[in-house]
Amino acid sequence: MNTATRAAHLAAPAAGFPFLGRTTADELLALVRAELGHPEALDDFVPYAGHMAQAVAVKTILHVISGNTPAAGLQSVIRGLLLGAHNLCKVPSAGLPELAEFRAALPPELAARVELAGELPDAWLARAEAVIVFGHDATIAHFRALAQPGQRFIAHGHRLSFGVVFEDTAGASASLAARDASLFDQQGCLSPHVFYVAGDARAYAARLAEAMAAFQALEPRARVALAAANSIRTRREELAFRAAQGEPVALWASADSTAWTVAYDEAPGFPRSPLNRFVFVKPLPADFAAELREVRPHLSCAGLWPATLAHARQLAPLGVSRLCPLGQMQVPPWTWLQDGAPALTPLVHWIGAEELCE
Amino acid sequence: MAGEKDGVNVIAAYRQLEARILAALRADLREEEFGALALEAHVFQKRWNTPYANFCATRPAAAHWREIPAVPQNIFKSARLSVAPPDLVTRTFRTSGTTGETRGEHHFIDTQLYDAAMLRGWDLLTARRADATILLVPADTDAPHSSLAHMLGVLARERSGGMACAAVGADGRLDGERARAALAEAFSRRQSVALLGTALAFLHLSEQLGEARLAVRPGSFALETGGYKGSGRDVPKTELYAGMSALFGLPPGDIFNEYGMTELSSQFYTRGLGGAHEGPPWLRAAVFDPETGGEVAVGETGVLRIFDLANLGSVLAVETQDLAVRREGGFELLGRDPAALPRGCSRAADERMRA
Repeated sequence: MNTATRAAHLAAPAAGFPFLGRTTADELLALVRAELGHPEALDDFVPYAGHMAQAVAVKTILHVISGNTPAAGLQSVIRGLLLGAHNLCKVPSAGLPELAEFRAALPPELAARVELAGELPDAWLARAEAVIVFGHDATIAHFRALAQPGQRFIAHGHRLSFGVVFEDTAGASASLAARDASLFDQQGCLSPHVFYVAGDARAYAARLAEAMAAFQALEPRARVALAAANSIRTRREELAFRAAQGEPVALWASADSTAWTVAYDEAPGFPRSPLNRFVFVKPLPADFAAELREVRPHLSCAGLWPATLAHARQLAPLGVSRLCPLGQMQVPPWTWLQDGAPALTPLVHWIGAEELCE
Repeated sequence: MAGEKDGVNVIAAYRQLEARILAALRADLREEEFGALALEAHVFQKRWNTPYANFCATRPAAAHWREIPAVPQNIFKSARLSVAPPDLVTRTFRTSGTTGETRGEHHFIDTQLYDAAMLRGWDLLTARRADATILLVPADTDAPHSSLAHMLGVLARERSGGMACAAVGADGRLDGERARAALAEAFSRRQSVALLGTALAFLHLSEQLGEARLAVRPGSFALETGGYKGSGRDVPKTELYAGMSALFGLPPGDIFNEYGMTELSSQFYTRGLGGAHEGPPWLRAAVFDPETGGEVAVGETGVLRIFDLANLGSVLAVETQDLAVRREGGFELLGRDPAALPRGCSRAADERMRA
């Protein structure tokens, strides 16, 4: 099965998983072209800098997948299949049903290249030529220590994202910001914790609250565990306590539930959301680098409004690896540079060939 | 800042209410009496504890003790929740925390009410005494800001022989040999012992002493408290109690668990395995649904909100982060769920790994 056929077989079932964003065979082949220079680079020798080269993918990939969102894990497996690799997937034992559903929708030849297990079988680590780990620092350190010499090790650690509203005279961005903060109930690496707003940030927070409520009416948040609900409640109460002391803090929240929360807070520093649709709004800081210094190693995506090249240039030095318009934070294209690096390139090696004739 | 006159006034008002609360530390304290005193203490706290008064000003006025606004436990880290200005405070307990972590502070004009509530609660709920004590926490002189060291020190002095051997030094290190020698001495003198310490200390003691078996005289008992915070350890209670039973020859019925916190002045207890925690009548717990803030039905799980009449100098209503099942007359403690910590991307994989 060549790359184009694999891409077509992957795109068909991917359409049933809208959270993956636009997934067509062309999108997947564009990823191959972008990273490997030619859509057939995995199938045959292709022109390479005046001579020829062929990319050879690793045979077996171990994906250690986390349960916070299905998107990251599924994308990783789709990329593995696109390369033609065999994919061993250690899924959370609580399950990640989307992965099994996706495998069931694949043609048998591709389905046979995906194995799922809730507990890591002993043999898997030794079988894998590459190990891709999604997780906390401790998880990553654990698998990094287990990885064998020569094994390719790719880690996707803890990440934080945020939005920036430079200007919004038309008032169009609040519903897009609410969408970014609500999708996947804020569990993803690309989910914003905070929106930095130029101008009247407090008024923007009130508009965002309306948009969060509207999104909740259309797509209610999933039920959350008691402890998660209590961490939202506790954060709300702590903010209410500070607001009562006259601090520049304001709170908008769903009534009789923890479904959504917007907190306006002028205290310096990147605020960590307790997640599950709890988002902060802060005034755009005069010194953005100082504001983000503590979290810089963990930054992922900044959503912008308006999304201009000039604004992107302004934010690029802050340590983010992705810039996109508000409303698009949760649907990166297949060619996105996750954690600032290409995804396929580290999973292939190359055979160069010079001065060949038919 | 409070002036000198305010200082006189707050002390006078405190002493007046303190005397009435001291008189209310009884087994037969009725609900109405508790409610009336709680509302009076609430008014007093709103008068003198300014940050709390500001918070209450944003909430409906309480007509019943259950409506008294509860402060999240964490606020003790960021706000000074005391009716007394600093110059009137003689004792401050601090929450434990890892290096760099902000610690909560609970200030006391003195510990008269604290000590009385602790001792009477102990008598009501455990009714135990011993001839000697072995403390698996530092002596209170070595840890003046630890409410646990203070509490267990007072318990040792007042309820178990007065002679306390602290097997944990000021550096926090447990000296297993010292504990073993003290136990042997008590045994040879035919003294019953009270073994008082954290769950983690009992765990360390059994690890240090290995296969040793330390006999104790009849009437001896153990009190364990606290979790394994910051230790990376998590031992099921059944396992801990089995280990303690084997080490000291104590049946689980002679092992008590104390549930308390730096932010409170009274304690809940449970005996052996599988029982509900119960508090004295001046200490009430409500199990509430964090989604709505309303109380859950008996048998359902929620978060603990605690009303402690002995917390006169700070705030009497505190919202914890501990989950519990509401039971008739008490609650079954489930503890703080790891998921209560802020979640980041990909947290679930870690939870799997630790499991």
